[in-house]
Amino acid sequence: MKNFNDDMLNRYLDNELSNEDKNSLQSSFENNPEIKKRYDALLITHNLLKNVQPDLTSIDFSKMVMQKISKRRIIEFQQKRFLFSVLSLFLIIIVGILGYVFYEIISTIQLSDSSKTISVYSNLVGNYFSVFFGKKNLSILGSVLSLIMLISGYFLYDYQKHSKKNFSH
Amino acid sequence: MKNLTDAEIIESVKKGNQADYAILIDRYKNKAFTMIKRMLKNDFDAEEVLMDCFFKAYNNLSTFKFESKFYTWFYRIVYNSALTKLSSAKRKIENEMSSVDDLHFLQSSYNADDLVKEDLSLLVKKIVNELPPKNAAVISMFYFEEMSTEEIADILQISVSNVKVILYRSRNILKEIIERRNLYQEVL
Repeated sequence: MKNFNDDMLNRYLDNELSNEDKNSLQSSFENNPEIKKRYDALLITHNLLKNVQPDLTSIDFSKMVMQKISKRRIIEFQQKRFLFSVLSLFLIIIVGILGYVFYEIISTIQLSDSSKTISVYSNLVGNYFSVFFGKKNLSILGSVLSLIMLISGYFLYDYQKHSKKNFSH
Repeated sequence: MKNLTDAEIIESVKKGNQADYAILIDRYKNKAFTMIKRMLKNDFDAEEVLMDCFFKAYNNLSTFKFESKFYTWFYRIVYNSALTKLSSAKRKIENEMSSVDDLHFLQSSYNADDLVKEDLSLLVKKIVNELPPKNAAVISMFYFEEMSTEEIADILQISVSNVKVILYRSRNILKEIIERRNLYQEVL
């Protein structure tokens, strides 16, 4: 008679035995009470496991997850706004520098009479920028920019740290 | 809304209906919690890790391509997060790899007189809790989540035959515990 081990009994339980093995095992149940007893024990274990109730999370679990997600979205929005502000500031400065360069270029070109009005205005703007970006002010401007960058960097770092801390709670 | 399929809910969330994600959470939270609790053996850690899993899944929803079912994708996140938690808690990783045949401690964990007084479902959970994380995860997915061995293999990234080996061994050891404690009389 074939020896049916626990592995075979498990496979029978999961309906994974061939028809031949299945029939052979079924006849063993009738002839060998020991095998039947082992199978019954396995079947009871199987049924016990099937009837286990799931564990329950805390009542407000879904709410907490959704709050965490919402909080994250707000933080992302604020970070984007902060970065946008800093980038806007630098963009304004870059536009100013380009304006000055543009003025320097057009001031070297001979203008026609019809362009005199534009020339007057560009002279005004140019004078303003030449004072602003003059040798005297350039070092001050550089220092101010560096300071702004440092302060922005610090606040961004601090803000990130603060957000992360809040977020983890 | 609650009758929507997972795919429909995900599409809705992707379109910006963030609140719909709560339906998915409600749908899977208890089953995933059952599995994660069996692996971590701790309510608090299990809930914390599960919360992170739902959050990770939400953040990566845009990368979900519907090539697999949402729950197999999600359970893979849950399983891997639980393993990460276990290793970060410096628990012995050998538990994960050990064979149930070596778990002699199981045979002396409980006193039969105490056990038979307990609620049967609670008792079974308690016994499953004693299995190594991977075995507990397989038992949990197969019985509590009613997944097929193919789905479990997909989640654990192992072969179907390996899943069956783990399942059979786990079942046998649970059977032995119940048998040794004469708990069948309580069941029948």
